[in-house]
Amino acid sequence: MMSEIIFAGSGGQGVLTCGLIISNIAASEGMNVTWVPSYGSAMRGGTANCTVKYSSDNYIYNPSPECPNMLLAMNQPSFVKFLPMVAPGGTVLIGDTVEIPDNARTDVTYVKVNCTEIAVGLNNPKGANIVMTGAIIKLMEDFKHDAAIQSMNNMFEKKGKGKFNAANMAAFDAGYNAV
Amino acid sequence: MVEMMKGNEAIAEAAIRAGARFYAGYPITPSSEIMEYLSWRMAEVGGSFVQAESELAGINMVIGASACGVRALTASSGPGISLKQEGISTLCDEGLPAVVITQVRYGNGLGTLFTSQCDYNRETRGGGQGDYRCIVLCPSSVQEYVDLMLPAYELSEKYRIVVIMMGEGTLGQMMEPVELPDFVEIKRTPWALNGHYTYKKIGIFERDSMAEAVELRAKYDEIKEKEQRWEEESIQDADYVFVAYGVPGRATLGAVRELRNAGEKVGLIRPVTAWPYPEKAFARINPNVKGIITVEENATGQMIDDAALSIKKTHKDRNIPAYALTYVYNTPPIGRIKEDYFKVKRGEIKEVY
Repeated sequence: MMSEIIFAGSGGQGVLTCGLIISNIAASEGMNVTWVPSYGSAMRGGTANCTVKYSSDNYIYNPSPECPNMLLAMNQPSFVKFLPMVAPGGTVLIGDTVEIPDNARTDVTYVKVNCTEIAVGLNNPKGANIVMTGAIIKLMEDFKHDAAIQSMNNMFEKKGKGKFNAANMAAFDAGYNAV
Repeated sequence: MVEMMKGNEAIAEAAIRAGARFYAGYPITPSSEIMEYLSWRMAEVGGSFVQAESELAGINMVIGASACGVRALTASSGPGISLKQEGISTLCDEGLPAVVITQVRYGNGLGTLFTSQCDYNRETRGGGQGDYRCIVLCPSSVQEYVDLMLPAYELSEKYRIVVIMMGEGTLGQMMEPVELPDFVEIKRTPWALNGHYTYKKIGIFERDSMAEAVELRAKYDEIKEKEQRWEEESIQDADYVFVAYGVPGRATLGAVRELRNAGEKVGLIRPVTAWPYPEKAFARINPNVKGIITVEENATGQMIDDAALSIKKTHKDRNIPAYALTYVYNTPPIGRIKEDYFKVKRGEIKEVY
């Protein structure tokens, strides 16, 4: 069984980091995992995305986006661009500003989390991506809450950003509990 | 310890551990993180790093470092590698070892930033002026890339040849769990310049180009015989054998396994050396095979020439068709490869040879 997640939003919303946290959680569980970003001109144009695939039993053959079970869309252009790719029965997690049109496909589950509002409420306005990380961990049901937190904290400590761990954990839990 | 690393950074660290102590180059997407990483890492291990004024300057500095017996590295992509060709040809002419990394991106001229395999012909034929070959390694994962760095230097020194690490944009930009190899002991090549005029000076007009060409030819024959590398799956009973390298190679492996599970008799040859081309693998293919199919990230079909030549040489009793599925740039989805396989099977895609 392989899970595929696309993380998409505008540059600066932290979608690449969100994907990186999830991929590190999977790696720390000893899974096969790949993380592939959009790069180059795509970043300068205003949208950013990455694809994470993980599996506990199979090699990841194609690391590039194919048929995600989960889409994180933090802005409207990302929602429009990637919605058609989502696997039937998949989950589409959307942020505050994303509107679901009346004619949107009905074979996927939409989950809205007002991540920016939640992050601002926590006095951590840059933490909207961490809120969504918590929501994704809950929705995917592949990882245990405490192990995920531990792995996230380890990742930021290695980057010399351990001082944000308390704020990150609060944001993660807010997202985890919002879905 | 296994940890998630970005391809370009893991590759740069692997080069350090394989003994690279000189880097010169000029940045270009999607290879730039290699030199960004080495800009600080090289100093930590006592090596030299130069951000050269151009690709041409970079490869010429590599010539100097190699002549002094230091494991030298440069990295680039697309047009940057074109600019280095004169220097690569010179390395070859002087019999100097070096490793050149290319993270291939698609397009002619300046091209694009998309991950691709459009430079297969240039790398495997010796892309500069003259009459030479480079060993070309084409890994399919970050781990394989890392694991091939030390063999790359060993091959380049054993045969006094340039080794091209032919990656692609995705392999530089993606992250995967990576286990890094240990550090090797650093030693200069025994024939290196040492500043003491130890060796006889030979002027350009004193060289015997005919004798050198004969020697080179013998060297290339030996490499062809001894250094072919590949991975294969289910080729001995396959009706159709895919041939694909790099990231498309691993995507095709996924397609092959899914097709096998659905009862289709398919197999895969994944070249690890693009030159020497793994002809020996083709000799192992089912004598009754119905066709071979390359999967390539380019528009024109480049590896198909080598694959077709190999199958026609190893299966001489009949004319086995050779098909090319060309996806231009970006890794072809497994679903797409499977769809196109059935088109080949139904006769809807014409063979190239």
